[in-house]
Amino acid sequence: MHDWHLEQGARMALFGGYEMPLWYPSGAKREHLAVLAGAGMFDTSHMAVIVVEGAGALDFLQLCYTKDLDACIGKKDKGPLVPGRCVYGVFLDELGHVIDDAIVSQVSPEVYMVVVNAGMGGAITRHLKGRAGGAATRINDLTDGIGKMDMQGPLSAKILSRMLRDPGRVFDRMVYFSFKGFFDDASPLADAVRLLDGTPILLSRTGYTGEFGFELFMSSDHIGRVWNMALEAGRDFGLMVCGLAARDSLRTGAVLPLSHQDIGPWPFINNPWNFALSLKDDKTGFTKRFVGDEALEKKTYSEYTYPFAGFDMRKVSPGNSTVVMDSNGAAIGTVLTCVTEMGIDRVGDRICSIASPDRPEGFRPRGLSCGFVKVTKKLACGDTVELNDGRRGIQVLITDDIRPDRSARRAIKDML
Amino acid sequence: MKEIEELLFPDDVHYAETHEWARDEEETVVVGIGDYAQDQLGDIVFVELPEIGDTFEKGDQFGTLESVKAVSEIYMPVAGKITAINEALSEEPELVNLEPYNRGWMIEIEPDDPDEIHTLMSGTEYMEMLKGAE
Repeated sequence: MHDWHLEQGARMALFGGYEMPLWYPSGAKREHLAVLAGAGMFDTSHMAVIVVEGAGALDFLQLCYTKDLDACIGKKDKGPLVPGRCVYGVFLDELGHVIDDAIVSQVSPEVYMVVVNAGMGGAITRHLKGRAGGAATRINDLTDGIGKMDMQGPLSAKILSRMLRDPGRVFDRMVYFSFKGFFDDASPLADAVRLLDGTPILLSRTGYTGEFGFELFMSSDHIGRVWNMALEAGRDFGLMVCGLAARDSLRTGAVLPLSHQDIGPWPFINNPWNFALSLKDDKTGFTKRFVGDEALEKKTYSEYTYPFAGFDMRKVSPGNSTVVMDSNGAAIGTVLTCVTEMGIDRVGDRICSIASPDRPEGFRPRGLSCGFVKVTKKLACGDTVELNDGRRGIQVLITDDIRPDRSARRAIKDML
Repeated sequence: MKEIEELLFPDDVHYAETHEWARDEEETVVVGIGDYAQDQLGDIVFVELPEIGDTFEKGDQFGTLESVKAVSEIYMPVAGKITAINEALSEEPELVNLEPYNRGWMIEIEPDDPDEIHTLMSGTEYMEMLKGAE
């Protein structure tokens, strides 16, 4: 895949130990907009895949992972994880600090697929193996054997329909955060999703863009061929290959954290992502015990992470030298992420996206800066803070959401 | 990303080490950023330019370029007074990517010293500098 990216003229950069495309000659802006209004395809082979299996696998994940796998599905997260469904959560250490975030998919009651970030396969595998007592749980890092690509955007299912055997059956009742098929031909699940040439894939209705779409897992031998098949299938739909820059601006607009940047070596609390924890309804504690829970319950940590959106596309450089200042000019924190989300703009006192059904006629967004700040003071939605990197200061509003009208949860029958 | 050989370095402009170009238009000097810089930065989403009448020394920062990923400074290739700015960039910042030497121009300067532009590099010299940095 690396050679293919270079042949296309992609701008490459190191990410998690892998040289990955930042953007292609079409540019990150068009790539970003394609995922909002059409479809975009990402090479995500650098992400790590770990399989946790055995009679003790469920109890083991319950101990190590923040999400309560006995209560995470359906209305108010009351139902247990079942085969074919997946959830988002994080792995913490005893201090409640984030080692990495992960999507856990239940293949069968004793087999779980854990997908973590680039370069984290080894670290998470070691972390888990260090805790797995006895032979009841086996942990295997499959990263090097698995290829992964993401098809994201409202036209994703239409494009995949041209690549799949019996797409009607594959897409039938395929809800958000569910998957079908398997990447190993020997698995009885493999027949559930095959490409037209017979290649078995695990097709998951997930992604990290906030938009409708899929992640495709397969044996790494197939990735080059399937990638080309997808380019061909997507040609009539304007499918665009996308790099990490577009992925970064898309996930920020969807208020999703980048591991090791927005979540990291500090307690995983007071942030917009408490849905990754197993909080009781009254938020007084957790529905299960897990590594790091006691540290989080102490509530001695007094920093808060909030999303923000600016008033135009001007950004500041995130990092330790950039300060967040409250309305009195007091320095109260740092900027974790700051990107330009190119599909949105302010219309009066709200934010509109190019995909908003009620956008004004002729709406042509100039983009808004947005991201996350970590501050020592409690703030409310609508509060103004200044971000200053020493070169410029920009006023931004603390918010609870950034890009409106995202397509991730739309019913699949409306997308075919 | 383009190879250096694929980038355009026209010889009717002069180049600064900080990747701006300057075109001698007799009374004035027109300034933008070259093909190498726009290719490195990626999509330009915003260009912040000075006010007409502002004066700067050579090497002073006169504005910022906002790409998808980062904010970069742009510097004066020669000293002088700003006599015009490219208003079109406020609506179409992508002109910097599409036509860096033409419609993507940024500022027009009345130079303090009309000969200072000749201290900058030619297209060939600039390309040699880039190859040396590879």
